[in-house]
Amino acid sequence: MPNHTGSFRSRLSGELGIGVAFILEVLVFSFLSPYFFSADNLLNVTLQASITAIIAVGMTFVILTGGIDLSVGSLVAFAGIVTTSFLKLDAPAEVIFPAALLVGLLVGAGSGALAGVCMTRFNIAPFIVTLALMTIWRGAAFMYTEGRPIWELPEGFSVLGSGRLLGVPNPTIVMIVVFAAAHIVLKYTSFGRHVYAVGGNVEAARVSGINTRRVYISVYAISGVLSALSGILLASRINSGQPNAGLMYELDVIAAVVVGGTSLNGGRGSVLGTFIGAMLIAVLRNGLNLLNVGSYVQQVVVGIVILLAVMLDQWRRK
Amino acid sequence: MQRLSLVCVVLVLSVVLFSSCNKGGNQQQTKVIGVALLTRGHIFYRDLEEGLMEEAKKNNYELIITSSEFDLGKQIAQIEDFISRKVDAIIICPVDSKGIGPGVRSANRANIPVFTADIAAQEGEVISHIASDNVAGGRLAGEFLAKALNGKGNIAIINHPAVTSVLDRVQGFRDAIALYPNIKVVADVSGQGVRDRSLQATTDVLQAHPDLAGIFGINDDSALGALDAVQQFKRPGIVIVGYDATPPAVDAIMKETALKADVIQYPVKIGSSTIAMIRDHFAGIPVPPLVPVEVGIVDKAALNTPSSN
Repeated sequence: MPNHTGSFRSRLSGELGIGVAFILEVLVFSFLSPYFFSADNLLNVTLQASITAIIAVGMTFVILTGGIDLSVGSLVAFAGIVTTSFLKLDAPAEVIFPAALLVGLLVGAGSGALAGVCMTRFNIAPFIVTLALMTIWRGAAFMYTEGRPIWELPEGFSVLGSGRLLGVPNPTIVMIVVFAAAHIVLKYTSFGRHVYAVGGNVEAARVSGINTRRVYISVYAISGVLSALSGILLASRINSGQPNAGLMYELDVIAAVVVGGTSLNGGRGSVLGTFIGAMLIAVLRNGLNLLNVGSYVQQVVVGIVILLAVMLDQWRRK
Repeated sequence: MQRLSLVCVVLVLSVVLFSSCNKGGNQQQTKVIGVALLTRGHIFYRDLEEGLMEEAKKNNYELIITSSEFDLGKQIAQIEDFISRKVDAIIICPVDSKGIGPGVRSANRANIPVFTADIAAQEGEVISHIASDNVAGGRLAGEFLAKALNGKGNIAIINHPAVTSVLDRVQGFRDAIALYPNIKVVADVSGQGVRDRSLQATTDVLQAHPDLAGIFGINDDSALGALDAVQQFKRPGIVIVGYDATPPAVDAIMKETALKADVIQYPVKIGSSTIAMIRDHFAGIPVPPLVPVEVGIVDKAALNTPSSN
């Protein structure tokens, strides 16, 4: 068992490694594009990253326990659809707005808890359970909307995702709050320690009296709620509920978590790493778009960067 | 062992039952047509499906409609299912123009006539391909944008360069723009044809080009995503042209947003023409290998005047 200072140092240097890569990336794009390093564009990057980054926080919890959640992208669409269709109900705004948000978030929590129960009660692998939920929610979104977007939403809904507070986009603020809260939970609460313990060695965790079932159900519920939150913010930004929203987000999100140094085997990683990982990928996409690099090339470049980041991480740990 | 034999008996029985059912249904007067759609997730395809169903009803054809949601393997499997059900004709909206080749060829071998709608197949024998004239549509969009910008300015394309019909649109658009030397395409980014990704892509384009004057969205989700970005970054004076004239886009045009015009396709007509071609083929009337379905462009003024269609 590693001693305390050792694990702390390795964690610090893990985030340091990815942090240095991130700063290098920012420098390179600043030289290559005159538009990159401006307050306006940097805020734009945080806005763009916010949707996947918020989901990535939940995914970090899940991956820390050694699991995976493939249902996040479909939940983005389904929660967005549920919230926007609630908004179309004929009721006063002060009632319908909070109700629509709450129902959307509950859908996410319910889906996540259901996934956790399937895993712990019926002993189905996380990959399978969340794969099933991924197709169920996507199918449900299409079924309910018959493939058409939900639009003509009440005035004011778009403020949630498109508004700004002191010049900072609302989704960016939500992202920062979510990251801060997750950081505190993982670092300073017993639940946070249990998440790491379950991911490190589930048998040892069980023997030491941790209710592992509750930990599993909780992390998937967190992932579900945060996916729904992102879905609602996204629906607000595009001022409509789209059944094809969030396609393939699960891959973007997993990439952010892994680039941020969280191990797919569980037990090792942090939300700070995930934050930098999400930013690194967002900056990469933004920078390549600013330089007008074609979309075919972009896919290849993003893939190479993911590989390099993980290789660097492995090499440093040797 | 006992359980295994029971399973075998049930399997054999069900196969016999199902196959006898099929024969009973097929051999009689109603013609059965298998439809392999690309997706049911776009308004365009919902309308196309509607056109198919309406016209099939008129002709008393039975449709078996499946959708592969952009999954080529699934689509080929669906076609194989149609072949084993011995349908009378197959309509395909291919996921991939080249990749669908094996599916088309198996249908050819089984002597089942194949028709494609909206997206063409590049391999195998297809009786007739029914689709919007996408090059013409792109050209209409380019001409409208060029005129709206008085023949000068920097413009961007919110693209989805993985689909042939989109490549045609962009080709037509660029052809039209090429006639205006003072208009420059400064950005060509992919929004993957969906609104959330198009919003993100357009945001980057707006950052890189403070002087951007016009945007062409290759479908309405792309154009509306671009509109979201233009509105959220408060960039006045940009003209957006979209494609498909779906209800949300028409609404945006009527409300005098930056989205000024839309190329309009007639997907219901693509669907009904496809069935009409099949009817002719069944009746022994020769059908043309390519049936272009007209497109148009609508702006606010055009939407206000009642159309003759």
